[in-house]
Amino acid sequence: MKLLLKIIIFIIPLIIFSFFYLYLSKDNSYPGADYKKFDLPAFELQSLYDENFISNNLLEGTYLVNVWASWCITCRVEHGFLTELSNNNINIVGLNYKDNRDDAIEWLVKYGNPYGVVIHDLKGSLALDMGVTGAPETFLVTDQRVIAHYRGEINNMIWNDVFLPVIKERGLVIDAK
Amino acid sequence: MLNKFLFLFFISFTLLAESYYDFQNDEDEKRFFNLIKEIRCPKCTSGSLASSNAPVSEDLKKIIAEMIEDNKSNEDIKSYISDRFGKETLYDTPIEPKTYALWYSPFVFLLVCLMIFFFRKKA
Repeated sequence: MKLLLKIIIFIIPLIIFSFFYLYLSKDNSYPGADYKKFDLPAFELQSLYDENFISNNLLEGTYLVNVWASWCITCRVEHGFLTELSNNNINIVGLNYKDNRDDAIEWLVKYGNPYGVVIHDLKGSLALDMGVTGAPETFLVTDQRVIAHYRGEINNMIWNDVFLPVIKERGLVIDAK
Repeated sequence: MLNKFLFLFFISFTLLAESYYDFQNDEDEKRFFNLIKEIRCPKCTSGSLASSNAPVSEDLKKIIAEMIEDNKSNEDIKSYISDRFGKETLYDTPIEPKTYALWYSPFVFLLVCLMIFFFRKKA
């Protein structure tokens, strides 16, 4: 009995230490990152620039969906990085979230447009279906399926640690050309 | 006269508050207020939809009100939200393989404590 007690006393701290070791030593996890896979919701929304409708069937291949708005300050912060991605031929679909059309167009004229197409989601209906809680957020979509999602500003570090591993693992080609 | 004006002034707030979400009966309204207390706001660290006026919470409250009007069940409404924003939006965590550790570990811990307690007594 005494031996059993000694064993238990030895094992319990071991379990607690290993628990903390396993959970605290993981430094590659980001709270904003989510790898839940789901189908791109069906939608039909106007383009920001003209009255033409964009639907989920029109978007093909692998691309990023970036949720942004002209009222969103952090979107301005990540804008430089998105421009850099766009310059490297990465296809980015803009999802303009609860924004005034004129303000959004003016914002893109002022700071440059890194997006291939921009969807004007005035009421945030598509954003709600995709689980957007605010702007900015970025999704990686391939073949009509969302495979990675990041809540918050994306930058070089987030790109390398959250998105690139998924792209490499699947051998995806994300070039626009 | 002044009292009448004051009365109208104060009652106007409640009249406006009621028109924001339109329900057919009191039961639906009760269901709505219970649901928004049971669902976590996806934008907040911890707080219910009821306590939040974040844009996403306002959208969700509007959708819950619409789904209640369509006679959707509480389960339908909860799964609509948890499908989009994750299981953590539900305060009442479901018991399933992924949450067994969460639900049963306190009992296991208690059992271990009791075992130690009884072994010690004998020794």
